[in-house]
Amino acid sequence: MQGPMAQRIARVFGKSWVVITVFIAVLTLLPADGWALPLFARQTGQNCLACHAGGQFPELTPYGRKFKLTGYTMGERATVPLAVMGVASSAKVASTAGSSDIEADFPHNGRFEFTTASVLCCGKITDNIGTFIQWTWDRFDHLNDQGSWVSKSHADQIDLRYADRFIDKNQDLIVGLSLNNNPGVADVWNTHNSAFTPVPTYVPVSNPSGNAGGPFVDVPAMPIIQSLGQASAGATAYAFWNNTIYGEFGLYKAADKAFSAFGEVPAGEIDSFLRLKGLNPYWRLALNHDWGANSAMVGLHGMSAETYSDAEDMSSPTARFTNYGIDGQYQYILDPHVVTAMFSYTHEKQRYADALWNTSNPEYLGAFANSSNTLDYVRAKLTYVYQAKYGAALAYSSIRGSSDSILYSNPAAVPNSRLWAPEVFWNPVQYVRVGVQYFMWNQYLGAKSNYDGNGRNAKDNNTLFLYVWAAY
Amino acid sequence: MKEICFASVAMLALAGCTNLERSRDLANPDINPEVTALQVCSNCHGVDGNSVSPNFPRLAGQQEVYLVAQLEGFRSHHRSDPAGYEYMWGISRSLTDGQIKGLAEYFSRQTAKSNIATTEPQMAAGRKIFEQGIPEKETAPCFACHGANAEGMGAFPRLAGQHEDYLVKQLHVFQETEGRPGTPMKQITHLLSHDDMVNVAGFLQAFPASH
Repeated sequence: MQGPMAQRIARVFGKSWVVITVFIAVLTLLPADGWALPLFARQTGQNCLACHAGGQFPELTPYGRKFKLTGYTMGERATVPLAVMGVASSAKVASTAGSSDIEADFPHNGRFEFTTASVLCCGKITDNIGTFIQWTWDRFDHLNDQGSWVSKSHADQIDLRYADRFIDKNQDLIVGLSLNNNPGVADVWNTHNSAFTPVPTYVPVSNPSGNAGGPFVDVPAMPIIQSLGQASAGATAYAFWNNTIYGEFGLYKAADKAFSAFGEVPAGEIDSFLRLKGLNPYWRLALNHDWGANSAMVGLHGMSAETYSDAEDMSSPTARFTNYGIDGQYQYILDPHVVTAMFSYTHEKQRYADALWNTSNPEYLGAFANSSNTLDYVRAKLTYVYQAKYGAALAYSSIRGSSDSILYSNPAAVPNSRLWAPEVFWNPVQYVRVGVQYFMWNQYLGAKSNYDGNGRNAKDNNTLFLYVWAAY
Repeated sequence: MKEICFASVAMLALAGCTNLERSRDLANPDINPEVTALQVCSNCHGVDGNSVSPNFPRLAGQQEVYLVAQLEGFRSHHRSDPAGYEYMWGISRSLTDGQIKGLAEYFSRQTAKSNIATTEPQMAAGRKIFEQGIPEKETAPCFACHGANAEGMGAFPRLAGQHEDYLVKQLHVFQETEGRPGTPMKQITHLLSHDDMVNVAGFLQAFPASH
C-alpha cells in the first residue's frame, strides 16, 4: 500500500509529458561545462570524454582502457569515493493484443517513470588497487501476491583490481588481477560482454525487461558467457603488452557462501542452469592497434561452464556450456567526431546430463528434447557522436539455435530472433543523456508472423524505448 | 584454504599501498616526474612524446620553457581551450612546480620523430606563410619567433612535426576565443582564413628535416 508521499510522486511521474518537458527545460539551463563530475572524473579531474568515447558509457577511449587496465588508479584518491546514477524511462510495445494480463505481460507499458538508481563506490584505493562496485535499486523488481510492484536493491557490477605497469622506452607491460562477478566485465573493449546491459545498444540503463521496460528489448536466449552477471564470482589475471596483445584467463564459481555479496540474489534463487558447479574457466585474447586517430581490436573469447539444473540442489543434474567467440571494435576519435563500430559473435554448445533429456532414464526430468543444443549469438553496433553531445547509433542483434521442442515452447521450437535498434541521443551536459531507441523485430522465436500460434507477429513486439540517464 | 586466500589478498592490499617507482598518483609530491611521464602522460602523448593520435599534441623536443608555461597555465586554468580543460586541468591540478619542471625537462629532451607528409601544393602554400608571412593579413612569418627550423625559442613553441589537426584547432582557438591569452598569436591569426591555417599546419606537420 503506497503512502501519501509515494502516491503524490507517482501522480507526478505518471504525467510523463510534463516530466520530460520540465526536465529538458532544466537541462538546457545548466552550464555546458561539467563542474559536477562523476566519481572517476573527480578522481582524475578530467571530463568524462577523456575516458569514454564521445561521452558514451561504457565505451572507452584508448586512454580510458589504460585507466581501467591500471586498476582505476590514475589520479588522486577521491575524498568521498561515491557516485550515484539514475534512470527514468518508458517502454511502449507496438501491440498488447492477445494478452490476458497486460500489466504482467507488458509492465508499465508506455509509462515514463523513474525506474533505477545505483550507488557506486569506485576508484583508486592505493597505487595498485582500485575498484568498481555498483549497487543498484530497481523500483519495479517483481509483482507481489497482491499484484503490486515490489522494489529491490542488489549487487550489480563488481570489479576489484590489483594492477601494476612496467613501462620504459622499449616496452610497456600492464598486469593485473580482477575479482569480479561477470565474465567479461574486466575487459576494456565492451564488445563480447557488455557488463552494463544485455541490450544490444549498450545503453547504460538497467535491464528494462525486469523493470517496467517491457520484455522485448533483448533476444530471448543468449550464451552462458553473457548470462552469468551477478550470478557468479571469479578471479581473472590479465596482461596487456605493448598496447598490442591482451590476454585474460580466470575461473568463475557460483556467487555463494563467501561470495554471496557478489550475487544479485541468494544462491538458491539463481535461475535454473545459471548456478555454476565448481570452478569454470573463462579466457580472452585480443590484438589491438592504434594509428593516427584510429584504434582497432580483434579478439577471441571463450568459456567452459557447468551449471546445476536446480540452484537449490547441488546433486541435481547439470548442463555443460562451451562458448567460443570472435569480436572486434574500431574507433575513430578526433574532436569533434567519434565513430565506434563493434561486433561480437559467440557460438555455444550445450550438453545435458542424461536425466535431463533421455526418456529412458528412470530419473527423466524432461528439460530438453535433445542431448545437446547450440546457440549462435551475433551483435553489432555502429555509433557516431558529434561534440560528445549529439549521437546516433544502429545496433543489430541475432540469436539462432538448434531446434528443441521442450526447451522452446513456441511452435517453431527454436529461439531464432533478429533485432535492429536505431537510436538517437543527446548529452545536454556530460553527466546526463536523453535518448530514444526503437527495437524492431524481423523475426521472433523462429517466425516473422504468428510466432506463438495465437496470431502474434514479430513486429508486434517492436518497442519504443525512451530514457533519461544521469550520474553524479 | 579460505583463510589463506583472504590473508593473501589482505597482504597484497597492504603491499600495494605505496609504489613510488610505478605510481599513477597525480597528487603526491614525492613522485619522480619521469615516473609520471611514463605511467600517465605516455597514455596520450606517447612514452617518448611522439603521440600517435592528433587529438594529443606531440611533446618530443618541445621547448622546456613553453612546456612549463602550458602546465602552469592548465593548473591555474589560465589556459582554457577545450582540449586543455577536458584533459589537462585534472592532470595538472596537484602537480608541484618541481614536478612541472621535471615533466617539461623530460619531454624537451626526447627526440622528435618526423610526421606524415602532405601534398606538394599544401607544402608550397604553407612554406610561403612560414617563410614570408601574409603581409596583407598582418601575419608575420612564423620563423621569426618559432625559429628557422620551427624548433621554437624559449617561450615560443616548437612547431616542426606537430600534428596538423592540433595546430589548426589551436590557431582557431587563438583567433576566435580567449582560451589562450597572453601571447602574440591572437594578433598574428586575426585575419587568417581556415585554408591558410590548414596550409601552414600541413607544412609544419611534414616539416622537412633538411629545411
